[in-house]
Amino acid sequence: MTAPASDGRRTARFRVHRRKAGDTASRYDEFEVAVGPNTTVLDGLVEIRRDKDPSLTLRHSCFHASCGTCGMRVNGQEGLACVTKVGEAAEVTVEPMANLPIVSDLVVAMEPFYECLDPVDRPLIRNSETVPSELPDGIDAYTRYEDCIECGICLSACPIAGSDPLYVGPAAIAAAWRVVEEPRGLAAGPVVRLMDDEQAVWRCHVAWECSEACPSGVDPAGAIARMRRAAIAARARRLFGSGGGA
Amino acid sequence: MAGTLDRERPLAAPEQRRGVGGWFDPRGRRMGGFAFILNRLTGIGLVLYLYLHLVVLSMLARGPDAWDQFVDIALSPPFLALDVLLLVGMLIHGLNGIRVGLIGLGLVASRQRAMFIALMTIAALVALVGALRIFGGE
Amino acid sequence: MAIGPTTPAARPEPGPRHAPPFLGQVVSGAALLLLLGLHMIAQHFVVPTGLRDYASVIDWLGSPVVVFLEVAFLVVVTYHALIGVRAILFDFGFSGRTARLITNLLWVVGIVTVVYGVALFAAILNAG
Repeated sequence: MTAPASDGRRTARFRVHRRKAGDTASRYDEFEVAVGPNTTVLDGLVEIRRDKDPSLTLRHSCFHASCGTCGMRVNGQEGLACVTKVGEAAEVTVEPMANLPIVSDLVVAMEPFYECLDPVDRPLIRNSETVPSELPDGIDAYTRYEDCIECGICLSACPIAGSDPLYVGPAAIAAAWRVVEEPRGLAAGPVVRLMDDEQAVWRCHVAWECSEACPSGVDPAGAIARMRRAAIAARARRLFGSGGGA
Repeated sequence: MAGTLDRERPLAAPEQRRGVGGWFDPRGRRMGGFAFILNRLTGIGLVLYLYLHLVVLSMLARGPDAWDQFVDIALSPPFLALDVLLLVGMLIHGLNGIRVGLIGLGLVASRQRAMFIALMTIAALVALVGALRIFGGE
Repeated sequence: MAIGPTTPAARPEPGPRHAPPFLGQVVSGAALLLLLGLHMIAQHFVVPTGLRDYASVIDWLGSPVVVFLEVAFLVVVTYHALIGVRAILFDFGFSGRTARLITNLLWVVGIVTVVYGVALFAAILNAG
């Protein structure tokens, strides 16, 4: 279905998940989209909504992988649509993230994801990394935010989140681990106890899909493993009577 | 102050979750995901085999004729092929289990991919040697 | 069929505070690397045909050390198998009373399995 053009652009088929409130089933609509070597999936979707079907619902914001809004599945793999290139693909299947309620077409409800994060009380600023001693003119200081952009991609990729509605998910455990690693005035002990739960760290089966899919380098699977070690150490301390701290 | 894990609603309606099919769906999976699928499939297979094995062993209580008759059948090529399959399942589950155990305890998490490759290579080699022994007799 | 969040489910009870079954899985798994290896070698790889005939089995089970190891193997493999089954079942999100029921049922299955296995050993030795 690709057609070579003199400016290097060709046509690719976008197969897009569609489902509106009241629909009894999903369907896939197909669109032919002109793409170039740097065209992203988000570029294609925006063009579809602008020129072909204004009823297509999708979420996006920054266009440069820092807001986490455009998480979706492209050809079965989770990613941020704004930095996922169409590349040489003749056909691109675009679906909403899995394991979260669909609001419309490619948009999912993020509230259940945030509900898992809220109990952790995670801070957002990373104090542990130093800033360069020489700052550019006009810059007084840098603020280093945590890596997690709360896109929900890890939850979509996790095979257990697909079957267990009570599992808190990789993002929540990774956020909790950051509190243990860098408390910033919070008490790490209660966070470890919170995550030492059948529906938290002990539900993970080391599929590592969350870390593979994470667009922001959070490594939630590694965080889950380290949180487990912290939980075991805390249990050992309680067992041998040296206190219940982290 | 950390809150509680109690939540009032599940993540998504059952029809919107990938469910059990999502455990075994290979689309979009990477190495760790395939390791998870293999571990789960071999684990289920080995549980079924355990109980089958315990039932088969009851023939020993019926005396030499019953058991020796079973041994003759069990040494036929189709059964030997199943034995090779069993051996492969045990090797995959056991060796990947080492990886899952170490990583699950918070050790060597950064090496999970390399561990999987190394351990499955060992599994393949041992399975090959085992298969040759099973079909080759001595 | 409406899409979107479902109606609020019943508030789940907090998870159990006993030692995580994962630790038991790791310990039993490590033990099985040894016990299963010994079992496989003894039953299949030192025997010329790969399977012991009746006389060979009775002869093998004549040693108390062997019987102890085989019973230990049975206990450990049953524990590991049923903890694994429990882990798979809990991946469906059971909690509270249902979770406790599943765990208790699996304990019963495990005990019955081990009792059956030990009774079978006794029956084999008596028949031999």
